[in-house]
Amino acid sequence: MKRLTLLFISSVFITAAVCAAYGQTKMPQMKFRERTLPNGLRVLSVIDKSSPTVTINVWYHVGSKDDPDHRSGFAHLFEHIMFKSTKNMKAEMMDRLTEDVGGNNNATTQDDATIYYETIPANYLETLLWAEAERLASLTVDDENFKSERAVVEEEFRQSILAPPNGRFFYAMDVRSWNAHPYKRPGIGSIEDLDAATVEDVIKFHNTYYRPDNATLIVVGDFDQKQLDTWVDKYFVPIPKPNLPLPRVNVTEPARTGEKRFMEYAPNVPLKGVAFTYLVPSSKSDDAAALRMASTILSQGRSSRLYQSLVYQQQLTTTATAGADLREDAGMFTFTALTVNGKKPEDVEAALRAEIKKLQDAPVSAAELEKAKNQIVTGQLRQRETSLGKSNALGRAAVLLGDPNRVNTELDRLQSVTAADIQRVAQKYLTDNNRYVIYYLPESERPKTSGNNPSTDAAKGGASK
Amino acid sequence: MRNKASNWILAMLVLALCAMSSAAQTAQATPPPPTAPHSTVFPKPVEKNLPNGLRVIVIPRTEMPLVTAQLLIKSGGEVDPTDLSGAADMTASLLTRGTSTKSATQIAEAIEALGGTLNAGAGWDASTITTNVMSPRIGQALEIIADVARNPSFKDEEIERLRRQTLNGLRSAMATPGSIARFVAARVVFRDSPYGHSLSGTPESLPRLKRDDIVKIHSMYYRPDNAILVIGGDITAANGFELAQKYFGDWQNPTVALPKLQITTPESTASGRRILVIDQPAAGQTAVLAVRTAINRDSPDYFRGIVANAILSGYSGRLNWEIRVKRGLSYGAGSSLDTRRSAGSFMASAQTKNVSGAEVASLTLAEISKLATGELLDSELSTRKASLLGGFARSMETTGGVVGQFGSLAMYGVPLDEINRYIASVQAIKAADVKGFAASRLNADSTSVVIVGNAKDFLPDLQKRFSNVEVISVADLDLNSASLKKTVGKN
Repeated sequence: MKRLTLLFISSVFITAAVCAAYGQTKMPQMKFRERTLPNGLRVLSVIDKSSPTVTINVWYHVGSKDDPDHRSGFAHLFEHIMFKSTKNMKAEMMDRLTEDVGGNNNATTQDDATIYYETIPANYLETLLWAEAERLASLTVDDENFKSERAVVEEEFRQSILAPPNGRFFYAMDVRSWNAHPYKRPGIGSIEDLDAATVEDVIKFHNTYYRPDNATLIVVGDFDQKQLDTWVDKYFVPIPKPNLPLPRVNVTEPARTGEKRFMEYAPNVPLKGVAFTYLVPSSKSDDAAALRMASTILSQGRSSRLYQSLVYQQQLTTTATAGADLREDAGMFTFTALTVNGKKPEDVEAALRAEIKKLQDAPVSAAELEKAKNQIVTGQLRQRETSLGKSNALGRAAVLLGDPNRVNTELDRLQSVTAADIQRVAQKYLTDNNRYVIYYLPESERPKTSGNNPSTDAAKGGASK
Repeated sequence: MRNKASNWILAMLVLALCAMSSAAQTAQATPPPPTAPHSTVFPKPVEKNLPNGLRVIVIPRTEMPLVTAQLLIKSGGEVDPTDLSGAADMTASLLTRGTSTKSATQIAEAIEALGGTLNAGAGWDASTITTNVMSPRIGQALEIIADVARNPSFKDEEIERLRRQTLNGLRSAMATPGSIARFVAARVVFRDSPYGHSLSGTPESLPRLKRDDIVKIHSMYYRPDNAILVIGGDITAANGFELAQKYFGDWQNPTVALPKLQITTPESTASGRRILVIDQPAAGQTAVLAVRTAINRDSPDYFRGIVANAILSGYSGRLNWEIRVKRGLSYGAGSSLDTRRSAGSFMASAQTKNVSGAEVASLTLAEISKLATGELLDSELSTRKASLLGGFARSMETTGGVVGQFGSLAMYGVPLDEINRYIASVQAIKAADVKGFAASRLNADSTSVVIVGNAKDFLPDLQKRFSNVEVISVADLDLNSASLKKTVGKN
């Protein structure tokens, strides 16, 4: 449904770009045009006449890590409010201008950025540029709409965290893994912190972060470049650049100094969970590509190492995944597994550790490396089938990797990864001292006397900074 | 190909927005109107039948060097023997887990080395094997599909492994309110008829399933005269047909005739209506479904039905508008019209906090009822049609979507050029058609309600709103029969 967060989408297959020739297949280079307006708004555009539609994608460089103190979940709640009213648009008018003419819209709040998008018949481009300029420049909010939408977000919390049996497991991962960085607060927040949010918080957040010099406008589809420039000039150039400073999270997550273990208990646990997290560098790091490749070899597909070992041969788990969850300021390399009923989480832990050791002790085979590269290339081609997928790839390169050209160079980085690189990053990061372990267990197994049990209910207690 | 909205619908919307802007005071205060619509092109399928009866459909499109191919068997979960629900899905899922020449691991390695994906499973009315690969590798991928469809080994070891995995998956599903509600809804609507059981089986049926049952389903239904091969993407029709001939040309039909299955879906009636609560005390949210029988895919009411559903469903559809946007009671409410070879179901759904379960049930039924009896203005009708058509167009943005759309038409024997008539058929529907359909096919009084959640939070409220509320504890739930309740002493 609408206005989803990307909370639990692991970054295993997070994309970047496809462009060079690979194997027998020519990767289309993405030809984009870049301009920056005097007010700081960056505009990227890609002409693609394969269908008579246009996708507009606006990236604001503010995400869940920027949630105000005691307001976990606020950036995401705010994202919902951006679909309400502006000076010249009454509530839900964005839906009138998109859904009612055969288009669609949505948005996603990530840790580091918030992305709003719509795909519309190409002849509505000017209309929607006007609308995006409206909500950048003149968002309005009234108490009734705010409370109603806040209730929707609380239902989203229940639907994603409380209703699914494993919701609290995945929720606990950020809460337990980060010590200092605000990444420790889950993007969906907590009911308590959401209830504390006010209309004043909304206005302040908009004034602070929703400004042209913190935004990137991306247009992909069937349009005329000159006409686009004219419309951008008309609707976006007049928006002033504020004099206020633009705050940035400036917290360094400290290196881990030893293994930590957490026991999470929940009322509804049909399959016990086991997770490891390892602190790793950010998405901009030189090791990012090798970490991604390692996660692909470990867990993409039924021929992957974790599936073959834990799911297929030992039949210890129903799923076993590895993910390179690389964010702007730092990353986590994660393992998650759901234990087959009757099997022991301790045995799952031992099996995961054996696979990690194997990755450290010997280089991956040439065939595994080749397979992983083919899987990554094909995945990126799939992403770029749609104008939305193209605009997401371009936005990620520009905003999170700091250079839109990386949409056309990222694949080269992945292709240049060697077996030795993968072994090296496994040895460097997947160490005992850098591991946090989370068990997800039924409430009935909680020790009766929990005098100094380090765990509380991560989902209930929330995770305020 | 992406948006296939017709010129005329766009032109109509141009007029609508021009009207809006003429009321404007300044140019900046109202949205600028659209410019002239851009023209559209539909993907064009090419098809032929191989001498063995296999129907081959190729839909070329060259934007990306990708191809999706799907072998579709026109039999799915509806062929499960009465006490063996899950048999067809196990059969389909086992195809990729071993053939006469390759082990499960070798098959996975072969397709993944190409960068491709391979998925198999049973749905209703069809079982599918689907691959998505870079276009230069499509020949190798089709060779793998042909091998798994034609030569599966169904080794006991693999059957046991998949049985355990499926039972663990069910264990998880049976702890999830939304999943429980859908299992229960199928029994409420289809009762003990072939669409009533769980596609993936039940904790009782799966242990009963034997290798012979699986082999029997494969030999009865996996045959060229009951199959369609759909290939979409960066491939020419000639190349597609050549590959089909190469890998499927010598596939023989068995000498016995294909069994004909006649399904009669029980009609939903007011007297048979159930208001059914499944009490799951651990539920973190309540799932609410309103469900009833509807129409089959080749019904003359098809377009009336999908437009009626579009009035209720979608972000700005009436259900989401009333339940989410106006009242903040859910993250999303919607409905679906599931048309099948025999009559399928209409289902409205939402999840809400436990205490709001009864209120959401009432709101859902009220909206279904209003569709037949309340006002439907042309302005609402036209925007909901636009939304329906836009979604249809977006469903064909990817090779997987194109193959899905044409595959679905083909499996129900609908002419493929219905794609070209789709927009006109939707536009021809008038308010009276929608209301007529709602009155005859979506009567709220014969629509059942299934609510899964922590019953103590909503049951008293629900009992005030409805008489004859049935309550079954999740521990006593039995998906193997329409009564849904384990017999006493068997718990």
